[in-house]
Order: sequence, then C-alpha cells, then structure tokens
Amino acid sequence: METVTLTIDGTQITVPKGRTVLQAAIEAGISVPYYCYHPGISIDGSCRVCIVKIEKMGKLQTSCSTVCTDGMVVHTREADVVEARAGVFEFLLLNHPLDCPVCDKGGECPLQDFSYTFGPAESRMDFPRRVFDGEGVKADVDFGPTLMLNRNRCILCTRCVRFMKEVDGDAQIGIVDRGAGSEIATFEERGVHSLISGNLMDVCPVGAILTKDYRFKTRPWDNPGVVDTICTLCSKGCNTSAWLKAKPEWARGSQLIRMTPRFNADVNNYWMCDIGRFTYHWAEGDTRLRKPMLRPSTSPGQAPLEPAAWRDVEPKLRDRIQDAGSQDPASVRFLVSAHASTEELYVLKQLVEGLLGNDGARAVTVTWTRSDKRQPEGTKFKVPGTDAPNVNGAKDLGFEVGPGNEGMPDLTRLRTDVEAGRVKAVYVLDPGPDGSIGDVSWLVAARRSGTLPLLVVQGVLMTELAAAADIVLPGTAWVEKDGIFTNDQGRVQASSRAIAPPGEAREDWQILVSVARSLGLTMPYETSNDVRRALATSKPGTGYAEADHLLFTRPVPARNWLQASNPSERWKWDFLFQDLPPVKGHSVQMEGVPAQETSIPLKPVG
Amino acid sequence: MAYEPVLTKHCAARDGYTLDFYVKNQRGYEGLRKALALQPNDIIEQVKASGLRGRGGAGFPTGMKWQFVLKDTPKPKYICCNADESEPGTFKDHVLMERNPHLLIEGCAISCYAIGAKVAYIYIRGEFYHVQEVLEAEIEKAYKAGFLGRNILGSGFDCDVFVHRGAGAYEAGEETALIESLEGKRAQPRIKPPFPAVAGLYQCPTAVNNVETLCNVPLIVLNGPEWFASLGPEKNGGPKLFCISGHVKRPGVYETSMHTTLRELVFGEQFAGGMIDERPFKAIIPGGSSVPLLLEQDLDTPASFDHIQKAGSLLGSAGLIVMNDSVCAVWLAMNLLHFYRHESCGKCTPCREGTDWLFKLLLRLESGDGQPKDLDLLFGVSTNIVGKTLCAFGDAAATPVLSTMKLFRGEYEAHVREGRCTLPAPWRAAHPVVAAHQ
Ligand SMILES: Cc1cc2nc3c(=O)[nH]c(=O)nc-3n(C[C@H](O)[C@H](O)[C@H](O)COP(=O)(O)O)c2cc1C
Ligand code: SF4
Ligand code: SF4
Ligand code: SF4
Ligand code: FES
Repeated sequence: METVTLTIDGTQITVPKGRTVLQAAIEAGISVPYYCYHPGISIDGSCRVCIVKIEKMGKLQTSCSTVCTDGMVVHTREADVVEARAGVFEFLLLNHPLDCPVCDKGGECPLQDFSYTFGPAESRMDFPRRVFDGEGVKADVDFGPTLMLNRNRCILCTRCVRFMKEVDGDAQIGIVDRGAGSEIATFEERGVHSLISGNLMDVCPVGAILTKDYRFKTRPWDNPGVVDTICTLCSKGCNTSAWLKAKPEWARGSQLIRMTPRFNADVNNYWMCDIGRFTYHWAEGDTRLRKPMLRPSTSPGQAPLEPAAWRDVEPKLRDRIQDAGSQDPASVRFLVSAHASTEELYVLKQLVEGLLGNDGARAVTVTWTRSDKRQPEGTKFKVPGTDAPNVNGAKDLGFEVGPGNEGMPDLTRLRTDVEAGRVKAVYVLDPGPDGSIGDVSWLVAARRSGTLPLLVVQGVLMTELAAAADIVLPGTAWVEKDGIFTNDQGRVQASSRAIAPPGEAREDWQILVSVARSLGLTMPYETSNDVRRALATSKPGTGYAEADHLLFTRPVPARNWLQASNPSERWKWDFLFQDLPPVKGHSVQMEGVPAQETSIPLKPVG
Repeated sequence: MAYEPVLTKHCAARDGYTLDFYVKNQRGYEGLRKALALQPNDIIEQVKASGLRGRGGAGFPTGMKWQFVLKDTPKPKYICCNADESEPGTFKDHVLMERNPHLLIEGCAISCYAIGAKVAYIYIRGEFYHVQEVLEAEIEKAYKAGFLGRNILGSGFDCDVFVHRGAGAYEAGEETALIESLEGKRAQPRIKPPFPAVAGLYQCPTAVNNVETLCNVPLIVLNGPEWFASLGPEKNGGPKLFCISGHVKRPGVYETSMHTTLRELVFGEQFAGGMIDERPFKAIIPGGSSVPLLLEQDLDTPASFDHIQKAGSLLGSAGLIVMNDSVCAVWLAMNLLHFYRHESCGKCTPCREGTDWLFKLLLRLESGDGQPKDLDLLFGVSTNIVGKTLCAFGDAAATPVLSTMKLFRGEYEAHVREGRCTLPAPWRAAHPVVAAHQ
C-alpha cells in the first residue's frame, strides 16, 4: 500500500495515499470539526468548519477536500485557524434555534459538541433569527411516513441531499430557494419515501431530521446501554447497535429504544434499512408469549389454551410426541423458520437425527417469506427479497432449502402429507415476527378439523397458529439471545443478547435441548457456546470453524462503549454519538490553546 | 495615437451582425481557415505569445488555461463560453453577442480546435433571451455556410456550438457553477481542485472562457500575436471593452487599449465625457461591483489588469461604475450587499449567513438605527467571510463593505452619530432597496 507522511500539529502521521487531511486527523485522534463531510457520501466542502492551515498554501484550506501529500505541514490549533474557525461557527449558529433542551439530538449532537469546543463563547448577532414558523406554517414538518423535518435546526450541510442522491438512488431531497433563504425540502408533497429513509436521521448532524419512531421518546443520557448486534429481518444481516433505555424504577430491566447501523464495509457500510430499523417493537408487544400454554383437552377448539408451568408442560409434550410417533417416527414433522439461529438448527438436527436416524433432516421443512422491496435502480443499498436471516445457515447444516435466498421455500410435501392425514404431529419453531413463516392457514385448518392430531408451537408471539396449537412454548426473539446467522454472502455473524426474555420465556436452543433430553437423547450442552463449540468442531475449515470464538457483546454504558469501540467505528464516535459531556470552558481537544477572547479580535485592514 | 476598434467597429452598422457582413468587412472566418491549417498546439502557442488574459474577471492567461486542459484522455473535451454576464456594472458581452455574433462563433470553433474539443456551449444569462435568438439564428447560418458542423472547410474537423440559457443567477457565472448548471443542476460551484481543465463538464476536460476572451482568438490567429500584444501595455495586450456606468454624461461600452487611463475613460470626450451635471467625482469601482473602490487620486492609472491591481483594486470585468458626491458610501455598500445577499447561492456557510447579516447591519445603519458597535461588527463579519468561502463570491461580497469602510469610515460614523445620512442626495429619496425589504 502506498503511503504518504504528513505532519499535523507537530505529529507525524503516515496514511494510505488518497486520504484527506480530515481523515488523517480523525484517524490520528486530532479533533477537527466537520459537518458536510460524511465518510459514506461524496465530499462537498460547503460547511467550511474543517478549515486548517497548510504551510505553503495561501489561504486556509478545507481539510475534508484536501488530499494529503508527502511532507505537508498542517496546523489546526494556531491562532489564525482557531479564530477563523470560530468565525464560521458563529455564522453556523446565527439562525440555529439552540433549542437543545427540547431537541432529540441534544447530547449526541455534533453541532453542540463542536460548537462548545471550537465556536466563539458568544454570538454577536442581535437580529431576530430566521424562523420558518409563520401563520399556518410550522418549522417542524412532516417529512414522509417515517420522518420529521425541523427546518429551523437545519444547517444546510446537504448530507441528506447527497445521501438520497448517491446512496438511495432517488434524489428526493433538494434545496429550494438560495442564499440565506435556502431550505431543505422534498419535491413531492408526500415527503421522503424510501426503504432506507431512517439513515437520514443518522446522517443529519443536527436535530433537523428525526425519525418519528425515536422522536420525543428518550434522551441520549437516558439510554445507558448499547449492544453491538446484527439485524435478522432479512438475509443481508446488517451490523447494528441496539440501544436500550432503562425501564422505570418500578419495572426492572431495560427496553429497546432504537436500532442504528454499525459500520461494516463488507455488509451494510454505514447504513441499514427501515424494516430493520423500525421493526423491533414486536418483541416487546402485547402478544408476546411469556408462559408455556397447554390445551387441557385433546380435541381441537374445545377448551382454550391455559398457562402452565414448564415442569408440567415438558412431560406432556414428551408423552404426546412419543404417542404421535409410536407407529411411525417419521409422522412427526417439524416446520422451522429461517429466523432460527444456527445453534437452534444444530440442536434440532441432532434431535431429528436422534429420533429418525441419518435422514432425520427430511422431517424438517424450513420456511421463510419473500417480499418485493421497491428501490430505485441505482441504489447503493439493496435490501434483499428474503425476509429471514438464516436460510444459508439451514442449508449449511444440511436442511433442504430449495432455491435458498433466491426464492421461496417449498412447503407442498409437508402440506400434502398433513392434509392427507399422514402426519401425526407438527412441531413448529417460529422465533421470528408474526407472519415470517408464511401462510400457514392450511396448518391451522388441519389442526382445527382434527386431520392433524397434534400441533406444537415454539415461538415468540401469540399468532393464529399458536392459538390453534395444543402446546405453546415461549421462545426468544433475536435480541433476547446470543445466536449466529449466516447471511446471503455466506458470512457467519453474531447477534447478541441485548435484553432479557420476558416472563418464563426460554432461549430456543435450551427448549430444544430439554425436549431432546426428555425423549431420551443425549445433549451435552449447558450454554449456547457449548453448541457453537460442537458446531465448530463438526465443520472444520468452514465459516463455522471459529463459531465459538465469535464475539458477543453485552449492554455496555454508552460512554464506555464509545470509547472502547474498535477503530473502524471511529466514524460513529466521531460524528454520530458524540456523547462527551458538553462542559463549557473546557475542551479536551483544545488544551494548550489559549482561551478565546469573548469577541474575536479584529484585524486591521491592509 | 488613435485607437482603431476591432471588436466593436461595426457594431452600429445595421446589418453588422450578419454572416455576409462579417465575411465581407471583418475578414470573417479567415482566422478559422488559417487555424485549421495549423497544428492545435501552434494555436495555443500563439495565444500564449499574444498574452491574452481572460476577460471574465480574473485576468488569467488564456493560453496557459488551454495548456492545462488534459491532453491524454479518452474523454471528450469541451469549451464553455461564459456569457452569464451578471456582474453589476458589466454589459459588454451581450454587445458582442448581439452585434458581432460571428466573431464569437468563429472564436468558439478555433478554441475547440486548439484544445481538441468538438463542442462548445455558450452559456448565456437567463435574462438574455433576445440575445439567444440572434445567436442561434447566426449559428444556424454558420452551419449552413460550412463554418460549423461536420468536416469544417474540408479540414476533417467537426465542431458544434450550442447556446444554453441559464435561469438567471449571478453565481452561474462562476465557472464550476456554470458547469453544474449546464449539467442541469443548481448553479452552485464545485470544490477545486479538480479544476475544469481536468474534470469539468460531465467530468471531462473543459476550458471555460469569457465571451470577450473568445472573440479575441480569431483576431490573434489572423493578425498574429505580436500585433495583439502591441495594442496594450506589457502583458495587457489586445483590445479591451470597458463598460462605463454611473454619473457620467455618456455611459456605455467603449473599446480601447489598456494604455488608456481611468481619467480618460471617465472624462475623455471620446469616452464617457465627464461627470453628469459637472458634479464632483467621488469614487470609481473599476472592475464590476466585486472590486475595491478607487479615488480621484488613482484616476491616472492606466486601465490594465496590472496597473489597476497596483493601485489597489482589480480590473475584473472592466465594469467602471462612476459615482459623484451624492453617493453615500453606506448606501452604496448596502445596495451592493442587497445584490450579493440575494445572489449568494447558499452553498457555503460564511457567504450564505454572512451576506445576509451584513445586509441587515447596513440596512440598520442606513435606516438610522446603527449603533457604534455595528461598525466593528461590519468589519468583523466581512473579515470572517474573506478567504473562508467555497468560491470567490464571498470575497467579492465582503469587498464593498471593507473598501467603503476603509475609504469613507467618516460616513459610517456619521450615520451612527446622526442617525441618518448626512449627504444631500435628493435622487435617492425613493430608496428602492430599503422600500423593498422593510
Ligand atoms: C461569483 C462569480 C461570478 C462570475 N461571473 C462571471 C460572468 O458573468 N462572466 C464571466 O465571464 N466570468 C465570470 N466569472 C469568472 C469565471 O469564474 C471564470 O473565471 C471566467 O469565466 C473565466 O473566463 P476567462 O478566463 O476568459 O476570463 C465569475 C466568477 C465568480 C466568482
Ligand atoms: S436536514 Fe440535516 S442533513 Fe439535511 S441539510 Fe439540514 S442539517 Fe444537513
Ligand atoms: S437490509 Fe435486512 S438486515 Fe439490513 S436492516 Fe434491513 S432488514 Fe435488517
Ligand atoms: S461563496 Fe457564496 S456563492 Fe460561493 S459557494 Fe459559497 S455561498 Fe455559494
Ligand atoms: S467538512 Fe469540510 S467543508 Fe464541511
């Protein structure tokens, strides 16, 4: 790799050729402010706060647009740079409402943080601020189905404009008018309508673009924990962070408060889609299964399901499965969602092979759904059609998945057998959101009519299928357990437990292990990592060989997490979640620089 | 020595703009014929030798600019003729386009040949639709006569010229903003580098040149670089159009050499003819609204790029705005800032926010509500803009304030002290700028 060596504030820095001065400074831990620069979109050079002094160049230069060259000498703290930069900050804040106390960005806002560090102590502006609120008009406007736009707060960095144009592929956001009258707007009245619109909140360096999902819900300092995990709502497997908010004191634990993307150049870059970002409430909703349930009578539709204790359910389950399989073990069948983690699939595989021998996997039907995700032709962030995270995991374990991520699962064999009365029991593993195992009304009908004598559902939600079941086992959603998933590129990724399962819900691999044990099989697993170790040993030389060394994280206090996060995440630390306490008068970055005077000293004109 | 106009000699002739007239009386398209017999590089060398400097504002040597246009590239190259002419006090290019369009068309063709382009776009200002009609009709005739199109004059060289009219923005005259606008985007400048010569229109190598600059090219090819250089002072050769406006008897466009002094241009009988009503001269802006003011004591400066720069201003677009003693410096700055605030493209922070702030401060001073601190503030805001913006607009916008404050600080102080303008200026009673914005 070709490198260049330059000096910034007296420190020699060697960077790969092609890096800009701003990138070099960020990587070296030298704080240079920036707004229009974002590592995932093109360089604009418009906000001007990143100006630095470069020796042998006449004027101050914007570091975001200046490429490092060998021997370049850069100053970011000399008096003239400090003064000029403060001047730009003064301009930037002229019309900013400074309504931080009611702004959702407050506390993690680059405008706040950088202004405290680099801006002048006070503004000399004494005219009324420009506001967009007027008769019948509000500054805060609906910006599409997922977003709100507060035009007063916008600093016109055009990151949102460039994001839509370059990443989304449909330039829906633009600027109307010009000069001081410029404002961010969409061309169409219906606002931003994109499958990846939520990224605009991360991209916006101020509280101008907010998601409706997060708005007014919390403050950053009330989000004590964050967990690095992955999204499991489709086969892409975006790397994400799950943000937690402490529940009120009388309730224990924490709740999910938002999902944000985590940089992974090979998977999702800096982005995630709206499906993954906003579809998390289901795990904590009212239809969540919290206790096992049993139907007292064996005839379907007679008695309602009743809550029961695990210790009562387990023997019942064992007896009924043994009963169903007494004549032909192959008449016990499994319908498994591709939302199941690889650990769960691995245990299941051992279970069916234990019961049915080597071709036990034939008793398992893997299911998922696909949906049409309309996106612009040229989008740089394509959301795949398959709505499940682990079709490839199932395939790698030897389950039949037909066309895999490229198509729909084939349920006809199972359905024909069920409808012909050849199946005595169906055991469903459904840890995904409602509807994610596809249309199973035929299964509900078969159980209701009695064609199917036994239906067991291990899942997360009280779905229509669970309601028709004889035995319901509360499993866990992806945020409640550690699990590995293999995305459509074949990449094995770890999804971490962020919150505790509610009530008596258990991790799905555990349920499967106890079912297997109750049926007399040996399952030497005490933790999910035991399962991963076994998996790793059984598949040397594959992506699973290191499965037991994958890193699962736990909620860490946001500040520690920010400071400890790995270097490739510097971008987030640097501009997304600048959670450093905004203490006026003190700034880490500017130590050693004389305190600024209240007003900027004026230079005499030459 | 009497100067013989070459660019505008036949401007007053009724049919001076026609192809026939051009061919008959101006040795029309002979330059092109001559050029096509040369190697492209020879033309660049000739233009370099002539010392031709860009007439659009910066006075950058044209030959050098062409030399920077990337040679080894599979991409097409372009000439963009900057006919946006929006600088206040500047009104020369439209005269050339309306009254001598073939000179420009021929200039475009030769320039294309010189840099290896096959297409020239003439980007004209949004308000110039009447010019567009004339230009397009004459371009059509040039095509018919074989001076444009395929295999021009049997040389095998192809060249197309298109006219594109902007939507009316001063900033569209900035070369990279012009390119953006040509591409169908907002007229906002790009960061440089890369310069247009490397990545301009559609990211292809492009030379952006002013109308008057391109009109000089056929003359250089035809009469030789020595002739061109001999017309003016060293490094400031060639004919030059001056746009004289303001409180003079005969405002208008005058062609002369850059030996001519500002005093001759303002007071000379063959030029503007002196101050209207014989009122005393106060100041002159020599290069369009973006340059510093000069005073009576500077009037003997020859109106060349270098001399004017030495005197502390810039020749810019050679728009000479002459003011008599009735013009209040504060009002002047406010008037100009009203323009800059309106025309700021809004892309970069210091200019977008700073021009608006400056205008508000000046309006407050002019309305009599100024406070003593406002003077320091005006100065501070202006210096905070200068040198920190994305394009040269920012510096241009701060100049009227900095320059008037330097030369006429007393008038600013009087506004604060008296709460009003102390100059007798009956003609300003209508106060159009203030009226529109209160
Ligand atoms: C704000 C701004 C406005 C400009 N407007 C014009 C214009 O109207 N016409 C023009 O020829 N050049 C204008 N220029 C200068 C151009 O950027 C460019 O320098 C010029 O077209 C180059 O041509 P030349 O080398 O032939 O002078 C403007 C520059 C700036 C910064
Ligand atoms: S809305 Fe946000 S991202 Fe868009 S221009 Fe304004 S501040 Fe920048
Ligand atoms: S693209 Fe798929 S993995 Fe990524 S956020 Fe969306 S649903 Fe989740
Ligand atoms: S200086 Fe003014 S005109 Fe130029 S880019 Fe900035 S805002 Fe636009
Ligand atoms: S970050 Fe460099 S100009 Fe905005």
